Amino acid sequence: MQLTTITDETRLALTTFGERARGLVTPAVRLGVTGLTHAGKTVFITALVHNLVHGGRLPMFRAYASGRVTGAALEPQPDDSVPRFDYEQHVDALVSARIWPDSTRQISELRLTVRYESASFLGRTIGSGKLHIDIVDYPGEWLLDLPLLGKSYADWSASAITKADTAGHRALASSWLARLVGVDPRAPENETTARELSAAFTAYLRGLRALDGAIATEPPGRFLMPGDLDNSPALTFCPLPNVGPGEPQGSLARMMERRYESYKSVVVRPFFRERFARLDRQIVLVDVLTALNGGPQAIAELEDALSGILACFRLGRTGWLSGLVSRRIDRILFAATKADHLHHGDHDRLEAILSRIVARAVQRAKFVGAKVEVLALASVRATREASVTTAGETLPSIIGVPLPGEKIDGRSFDGSTEVALFPGDLPDDAAKAVSAGAPPVDVRFVRFRPPKLERTAEDLTLSLPHIRLDRALEFLLGDKLA
Amino acid sequence: MSRRPTAFDLGQVRYEPEELYPEAEAEEETAMLKGMVVAIDGRGWNRHWLTVFFAGLAGLILLAAGLAIDSLIRELFVRSDVLGWLGSVLTAVTVAALLVVGGREIAGLLRLRRVNHIHARALEAANADNRDAAVTVLREMNALYRRRPETAKGRAALARHRGEIIDGRDLLGLAETELLLPFDDAARRMVMASARRVTLVTAISPRALVDLLFVGAEILRLVRRLAILYGGRPGAIGFYRLARATIGHLAVTGGIAAGDSIVQQIVGHGVAARLSARLGEGVVNGMLTARVGIAAIEVCRPLPYITGAPPRLSDVLAALKPAAEAGAR
Repeated sequence: MQLTTITDETRLALTTFGERARGLVTPAVRLGVTGLTHAGKTVFITALVHNLVHGGRLPMFRAYASGRVTGAALEPQPDDSVPRFDYEQHVDALVSARIWPDSTRQISELRLTVRYESASFLGRTIGSGKLHIDIVDYPGEWLLDLPLLGKSYADWSASAITKADTAGHRALASSWLARLVGVDPRAPENETTARELSAAFTAYLRGLRALDGAIATEPPGRFLMPGDLDNSPALTFCPLPNVGPGEPQGSLARMMERRYESYKSVVVRPFFRERFARLDRQIVLVDVLTALNGGPQAIAELEDALSGILACFRLGRTGWLSGLVSRRIDRILFAATKADHLHHGDHDRLEAILSRIVARAVQRAKFVGAKVEVLALASVRATREASVTTAGETLPSIIGVPLPGEKIDGRSFDGSTEVALFPGDLPDDAAKAVSAGAPPVDVRFVRFRPPKLERTAEDLTLSLPHIRLDRALEFLLGDKLA
Repeated sequence: MSRRPTAFDLGQVRYEPEELYPEAEAEEETAMLKGMVVAIDGRGWNRHWLTVFFAGLAGLILLAAGLAIDSLIRELFVRSDVLGWLGSVLTAVTVAALLVVGGREIAGLLRLRRVNHIHARALEAANADNRDAAVTVLREMNALYRRRPETAKGRAALARHRGEIIDGRDLLGLAETELLLPFDDAARRMVMASARRVTLVTAISPRALVDLLFVGAEILRLVRRLAILYGGRPGAIGFYRLARATIGHLAVTGGIAAGDSIVQQIVGHGVAARLSARLGEGVVNGMLTARVGIAAIEVCRPLPYITGAPPRLSDVLAALKPAAEAGAR
C-alpha cells in the first residue's frame, strides 16, 4: 500500500535527521499509543506518567526497580503547534473524582523526561543520563482514516455502502441509504445535494459511534469531531453508489471524489506524516473484552479495523546509518486492556485471543525484524480478586465498584456499592472464540470505577495500581535505559 | 462450560489474598513433614534384602553396645558407688549429645531436601510460567529465609509483590533479584577467594603432596560455606550428599562451562605455564576450584537462574592471574 508521496518521504527524512542530530545530546524516543475508541489510550498515558513521576511500584521495569532511574518529570514538549496532554486534569479525574477521563476529542502531546544512570560504563561516560519520552494522544476515531490513504474514492464508496447495508448497520444507515437512492452520481454537481447527503451520512456515523458497545467507527473520523474544518468542502462529501474511476467533469461524483482527495491531503496525510510515521516504539491497545461481550460479529469488526490500521505502521529495524534519516518501529506491543475485569487465571486466555486477532500483524512485524509481544494489561487496576463459593462451586471473581448504570443479571448498580463479580470463563481455545459462526462466549464484563487510592500517614497519594504496566514499560523502553 | 456470569454481594465473598498467602507459621512444620515423606522407589529385591540385613546388623551392634555399657555401669557400681554414678552421668551425656547430633543431621538433610525441592518446583513453575506454582515457591523461599535477618528487606518486597498480578516466571525472577542477589555476590566472592588461595598455595608450595591436600581441603571448605550461605548448615551426611551432587553436577555440566571458550582456557594456561611450571599448575588448580565452586553454587542455590546469570569461569580466571603471578615471584 502506497501511503506516502515522495515529498512526504523527503520531509520525513529531513525531520528525522534533524531530530537525530538533537538526539545526540539527549536521546528522545517517540512512543506511539494506538487504539480504537475506548481502548484506554488516555488512561494508559496517564498511568504511565503517574507511575514514573510518583515512584510507582514497577518491579518488572528493571532500570527503575534497580534504582538506576533517579527521577522523571514532565517537560515542555517539542512541537509548539499541538496542545499539551492535560495530564493534571486526567490524574485529578482518576484519583479524586474517581471517574475515567472523557474520550479524547483532539490531538495532544506530552514529553516525559527520565533521568537515569546507565548500567554500562560507556553509557555513563558518554550518555547524558536523560531520556525524553514523547507521547502523543489522539482520538481513536482518527485512526480509521489511515487505511483511506491507500483507497481511491470509488473503492471506498463501494466498501462503505456495502458495510452500511449489513445487519448491524442497516437500521442506523437507513435514512442516508434512502436519500442515496434518488441521487445520480453523473448529474451536475450541486452544493445543496452534497450538503444534504453529507449531513445524512454524518448522522449515520454518529449513530454508529453512540451505539452501545461500539467497537470500531467508520471513517472518515473527522466527520465526528470536525473542529475548525466544520462545513468546509473537505468535510462535505459522502460515498456514492456505482461510481467508477473516470466520472465526467462537473458531475456530482467528480466533486465528491475531489473532496475525498482533499480530505486525505488536508486531514489524513498530515496526521500520518506528523504523528504516525515518526515513531520508534508502538503500543497497540485493544479492548478485547468489549468485543467478546459483543459476540463474533464484534470480534470480526475489531479484527478488520485493526488489520487496516496495522498495515499502516512502519515497522522494522534500522541500521545506524539508515537510522539517521528514517524511523522505524522496532518494538511493538499488543496489549489487551482492562485485564483487571478478569481474574488473573483468565489472563493467559485473554492473551491467546488477542494473539489470534492480531496474528497477521504479528507475523508481518516479525518478518521485517521488529520485536513483538502480546500482553494482558490494566493501566489502572480498578478491582481486587476474591473467590466466591456458591452451590458447591468456587468461582474466581473480582471485586470492584461498577459504574452507575452498569447491568448484570438484570441487576443494575448505582456506582457506590462494591460487588463481587464472576465474569464467566473465557474459552480455552482462542481459535474457537474468534472464528466466525462460533457460539457467543458467555461472558459479561461491566465497567468499574477507578480504584480508591490509599493515602499514607504523610498524606501522600500512593501511585496508581496496575497490572503488567511495568512489563509493558520494560519491553517498550527498557533497552533505551540500559 | 456451565458457569454463568454472576454478581454477588460482598457478604458471600471469601477474600483471596488472605486465603492464598496465610502467614507462614504452620508452614515450616508442614514443609518439614512433607520433607520427611521418603520416596520409595522400586528397588530390586536384592537391594531390599541387603537393606534388611544391614538394618538387622545395625540393631545387633546397637544392642551389643547397650549391653556393654550396661555391664560396664554395673561393674562400676560393684567397685564403688561414686564410679557407678559417674559412669551413669557420662552415659546420659553421651546419649544426649548423640541425640542432638543426630537431630542436627536430620535437620540438615531436611534442609537440603527442601532446597532441592524448591529448586525443582521453581524450575517447573518457570518453564510453565505458572503463577500459582510460583507463589507456592515464593512462600517456601520465605519460610527458608525467615531466620536470615539480612533478607528482611527482600522478603518484605516480595510480600508486596505477591499481592500484585505478576506472571509466574517474572515472579520467580523477582524473588531471585530480591532474595538471592546478595547471596550470589557473596558466593562469587567466596569462589574467587578460594580459587585465588589455591593458586597461590600451589604456586609456592614446596611439595606436591602439600598442595594436593590443600586443594582438597579448600574445595570441601568452599562447598560447605556455599551450602551454609544459601540454605543453612548441611550436617555431615548432608554435606557428603552435597559433595556427591556437586561432583555429579560437575561431571554433567562442568566439562565446558557455559559461555566459556575452552580455547581461551588452554591458551591462558599455556601462557602461564610458559612463564613458570608452578604458575601453570597454580592456575589449573585454581580453575578446578572455581569450577567446583560454580557447580556447588548451582547445586546449593534454591532457585534456578532466571534473570541472573551464573558466574563464569572467565571472570574467576581473570582474578586468578594476578594471584598466580604474585606467587611465582
